[in-house]
Amino acid sequence: MLTTDAYHMPATLDEALTLLATAPAGSRLVAGATDLLPWAREGRAGDVHLPALIDVTRIDEMSGVSIANGRVRFGANTVYQAFMTEPALARALPVMPHCAIWFADDQIREQATLAGNVVNASPAADGTPPLVAMNAVIECARRDATGTIVRRAVPIAEFLLGPGRTMLADGEIVTAITCDDMTGYGGAFEKVGQRRSLVIAVVNAAALVRTDRTGTRFEDVRLAIGGIGPVPLRLAEAEAMLRGQPVSAELIARASRFADDRIASRSRREYRRTVTRGFIAAVLENALADCGVPLPAARHTETADV
Amino acid sequence: MERRMRGRGVAASWYGIARTATIDRAGAWAELDDGGTAKIVTGVTEIGEGILTVLAQVAAEELGIRPEDVTIGDNDTARSPEAAHAGATRQTYMIGNSVALACRDARAKLDAVIAAHWGVEPGQIEAFNGEIWAEGTNLRMTMEEAVDLAKKRGVVPVGSGAFTAHGTGLDPVDGSGSPWQAYVFGCQVAEVEVDTVTGEVQVLGIWAVHDVGRAINPRGVEGQIEGGVVQGLGQALMEDYRLENGHTTTHGFAKYILPTALDMPQINTVIVEDPDPKSPLGAKGIGEPALVPTAPAIMNAIYDAVGVRITSLPATPEKVLAALAARAAAQQSVREGAQAAE
Amino acid sequence: MSDLALEMTVNGRRVKRTVPPHQRLIDVLRDDLNLTGTKEGCGAGECGTCSVFVDGKLVKSCLMPAAKANGARIETIEGLAAPGDLTPVQKAFHKTGASQCGYCIPGMVMAATAALRANPEADLEEIKERMGGNICRCTGYTKIIEAVELARDVIAGRISADAFAEDAAVGSFIGSNVRRLDAPSKVAGRLRYAGDMVMPGMLHMQVLRSPHAHARIVSIDTSAAEVLEGVACVITAADVPGKDGFGVFVHDQPVMARGKVRYVGEAVAAVAAEDVLTARRALAQIRVVYEELPALFDAGEARKPGAPVLHDYAPDNVVKHIPIRKGDVDRGFAEADIIIEQTYQTQQVEHAYLEPEAGLAYVDHDDVVTVISPSQNITHHRHMLAKIIDRPINKVRFIMSPVGGGFGGKEDMIYQGMLALAAMKSGRPVRLVFTREESIIVTAKRHPADITYRMGLKKDGRITAISFSLLSDGGAYGLSTEGVMRKSAILSLGPYDIPNLTIDTVGVYTNNTPSGAFRTFGAMQSQFATECHLDIAAERLGLDAFEIRRINMMRDGASTHTQQVLGSVSIGRVLDVAEQASRWEHGPVGMRGPQRSDLGGDDTRAPCTLGARFRDGVGKTRQEVA
Repeated sequence: MLTTDAYHMPATLDEALTLLATAPAGSRLVAGATDLLPWAREGRAGDVHLPALIDVTRIDEMSGVSIANGRVRFGANTVYQAFMTEPALARALPVMPHCAIWFADDQIREQATLAGNVVNASPAADGTPPLVAMNAVIECARRDATGTIVRRAVPIAEFLLGPGRTMLADGEIVTAITCDDMTGYGGAFEKVGQRRSLVIAVVNAAALVRTDRTGTRFEDVRLAIGGIGPVPLRLAEAEAMLRGQPVSAELIARASRFADDRIASRSRREYRRTVTRGFIAAVLENALADCGVPLPAARHTETADV
Repeated sequence: MERRMRGRGVAASWYGIARTATIDRAGAWAELDDGGTAKIVTGVTEIGEGILTVLAQVAAEELGIRPEDVTIGDNDTARSPEAAHAGATRQTYMIGNSVALACRDARAKLDAVIAAHWGVEPGQIEAFNGEIWAEGTNLRMTMEEAVDLAKKRGVVPVGSGAFTAHGTGLDPVDGSGSPWQAYVFGCQVAEVEVDTVTGEVQVLGIWAVHDVGRAINPRGVEGQIEGGVVQGLGQALMEDYRLENGHTTTHGFAKYILPTALDMPQINTVIVEDPDPKSPLGAKGIGEPALVPTAPAIMNAIYDAVGVRITSLPATPEKVLAALAARAAAQQSVREGAQAAE
Repeated sequence: MSDLALEMTVNGRRVKRTVPPHQRLIDVLRDDLNLTGTKEGCGAGECGTCSVFVDGKLVKSCLMPAAKANGARIETIEGLAAPGDLTPVQKAFHKTGASQCGYCIPGMVMAATAALRANPEADLEEIKERMGGNICRCTGYTKIIEAVELARDVIAGRISADAFAEDAAVGSFIGSNVRRLDAPSKVAGRLRYAGDMVMPGMLHMQVLRSPHAHARIVSIDTSAAEVLEGVACVITAADVPGKDGFGVFVHDQPVMARGKVRYVGEAVAAVAAEDVLTARRALAQIRVVYEELPALFDAGEARKPGAPVLHDYAPDNVVKHIPIRKGDVDRGFAEADIIIEQTYQTQQVEHAYLEPEAGLAYVDHDDVVTVISPSQNITHHRHMLAKIIDRPINKVRFIMSPVGGGFGGKEDMIYQGMLALAAMKSGRPVRLVFTREESIIVTAKRHPADITYRMGLKKDGRITAISFSLLSDGGAYGLSTEGVMRKSAILSLGPYDIPNLTIDTVGVYTNNTPSGAFRTFGAMQSQFATECHLDIAAERLGLDAFEIRRINMMRDGASTHTQQVLGSVSIGRVLDVAEQASRWEHGPVGMRGPQRSDLGGDDTRAPCTLGARFRDGVGKTRQEVA
């Protein structure tokens, strides 16, 4: 059971930073709260008392979407559901609807934010592999010793340090996330858990693919996997190998081996390795299909590697 | 092997109705009430299986009124006769039959009054859907009028009934005995798709065929079967209560994984009726037996699909994939052995 | 502590409340506004029973701090239709029989409503996907999804609202699909389960539970808890006036731990206080000194010499051994052409009814100790409680509240005794509502099983002999283990005529979570092994799966494994119907899948691939949903 002495809902970032600076030690920021409340229960943290909760979801400047100069910027309060229902987001980030549909369920997606998912830094997070693939940058704000608001932008690969650990400093708030504008790419996401909704990933994978006009050559490929180590993994070598090459089942099969020696999870390593191979191939093929250029013999290449 | 492989499996089952290897019993009271309604009092409350509706149907049928005219009293040890527990696939069998007997008792009192009033034999009296009449005559009135008439003659049409199922204990040495007086039989076929990349198994179809004796409410029987199948599916594929040194690691539904609507197969139910000769209603039961064959049918279907036999539940994706790898390794060594022999 | 001043519109009415800052939206709805149609099935956002609309968006109210709802427009199950009326979705649930225990149903109706509001033309796949955050344990979802499709078609005008009406009974109500009489109260969220009930002056109970699997209780000091403001009483085993002990077969479990704890989660003490928070704070003030004892976590270890002993009456840790013998197995195996051996394991399974345990107890004006709870066996509970509290049986009254799913899990009198004791000690009504975690940790599970199977067969598929043994971990207390072992043994070898057999089922004590009654009472575990084993045998003999079963099935007048002579046996008919209904393609058991022609018919569903709502293109999503 979670208890607190005060629940604040600041309307501005300025107000939030002030509250954060003056709140008693142990106070916490709240976004969707969908992870916080289950955390304060038996089997996890048990009964928890936090001196104050500072809810950022009514801060206007942390909402909204803008697309400019090849980058998409969405406020930290953007909930998961928005990546399916906001056409601008869905178009510019074509992997995100496929990712969002796998995240929790319709109800939780109305409350849970992608930024909150990043800040929680779970190795099994659904949202982080796509962000890694899209060169996401996490925008943060804090107040310095003189009281002025200091902002910084940290690439997600640097922001995520390990399970539950990020670069976010005390008194600092994630305000927005930016990523590459992926308009024109095909997106795909795969995930396996113990069932098909409302489940924690054992492995997940995200891909974005753009082909040349003829649909026969990879022009650009973005590939990342999650659940296989402390942080999600961008498969840059596989991307480089594919980029500029003619699309073929053989090439995809080669790419699917690029994560073999990078499965860092201590548990279920063999399982994760096998699934990852299959997932890399599957997300590449599905992303191609999402571009409108399905691999001719996709059914035959989608084979088990056992 | 293609990524997604399908297969089918079958499993049969049997089950005993009501308490095991003992004498089971239940009692009920019935009253044909003003307005042609009825009160039924018995120790029973809905646990979800639909027993209140079944009892209302039974009472309506026996009393000649409509199910919506029946009021069923709460299960209360201080206010209602013992019907014992809500389990063991005994509600329809034990309590359904005791309610039928109680209603017959009440009806007999009413019928006697009405037969005397009309000057016919009580055996000629029939009633259905709120009307009562004498067979072979044009004598007919509403149940409301009939109850009113009975009361004016000083008769309150109340009845009681008790039903007994005669099981015997097992011999302590060879286990011989007759644990139940009624048995049901079932068979389910499962069709699955195995994802050989992830090891996930999706159950796409279940054909569930169950003898229930007599289906009082066929839709309710289907509901029991569908629920049983999905519980069986959960146990077959995902549910797993885990302990480490006596402490659970599956505290909540985030860790203890249950099937959702996305996991349910299309369930095709066929009800078989082999009526029970030892009870007034002929109905047997379905609550528990519905899930007995599901898990083995699914395991047999997985084998049919991909040639791996999972003998330890649940067949998680990881377990299925490990079995596929072991199978591939075994086939490889057989091939190598064959080559070496050449 | 700064309380929250909330102003909301709930079901069209303006409400103002001041609540503690930690309250969740579900707490305000249920406790302050008495809108108990919104259920708390898990408290962690995993089951969907608490779903409500906030500003038109469906959320899980157990995951929403109440502060977030300030200023919002809330719609709960009670507000969907005017009192006495039902929405098309609710009427469809009524018609199809979509509600069984009903506990998940308000959340299901909300999710269905949300799905059809989002996309009135949602297809089957999309409906299932949009309801993927709601768990039902009773229905297998089939009739729920059928209801949503029916409601969709009626709302769209494709079919008449007459489809909601009852099917007419022709000549008899027996065999007729009478709509469930309890459904309107369930689909409207009106039915009150024990955890929804309140009485004036009611106290709230919380329970201190053992952190150890096996330990001697050296001392319990409740003094600090008792003097806390708002605490009415603290109870321990010392408060039991009569003969302590309950269980379905053997009364080996005390109402609260007596001298010793035998599993993690066992009740040690309980507090009744003015509110749940005070009761929880009081628990933290109770000092228990334990001396840990060697513990037993494995059924196989339980019977070994020198194993820790859990209950003095059972020095071998055996709860029950059921032997069944018929014919001469040695001769049967000698006659066999092949003998197949295999082991099988089944796991512990949680009942996972959506309604966590809850109860309300009071002592009435006639000094009758009364317990209202979703007990599956109030008759037996009354007997046991009368002895425990040393009162005449007519001074103990059990009322069975609507059960939000049982499946055998609510047959054990696991908390009702504590409620009665606290009501007697405080003189006030006392209510206890388990958390989901508490329900999982404390209550019985399906018995796990380790099965060793040996079957002899002739080349033609006839079984000549079976030797079957099953070992099961019964956990810390006996509960239903004896009966489960019995039923498991009797039914183990399935509906087959086995001339020579030995069956042994053994349930043992360990320091694990107790195992107890769970739908099939041991029969699914043992028959699971039989049905898998038959397929292994069929493959070895080149037989079809139906064929091997027909060769061995019982026929009218068969003698069962316990030598009971049956009358009519329907298994042959059932097998025939199943084979035809499933369009089964005859063939020997093996990896036939790729060769089969009976796969993928109209009577199967499509494999689930997520994303039904944007299958026609992501860019269109918005237009569809808006």
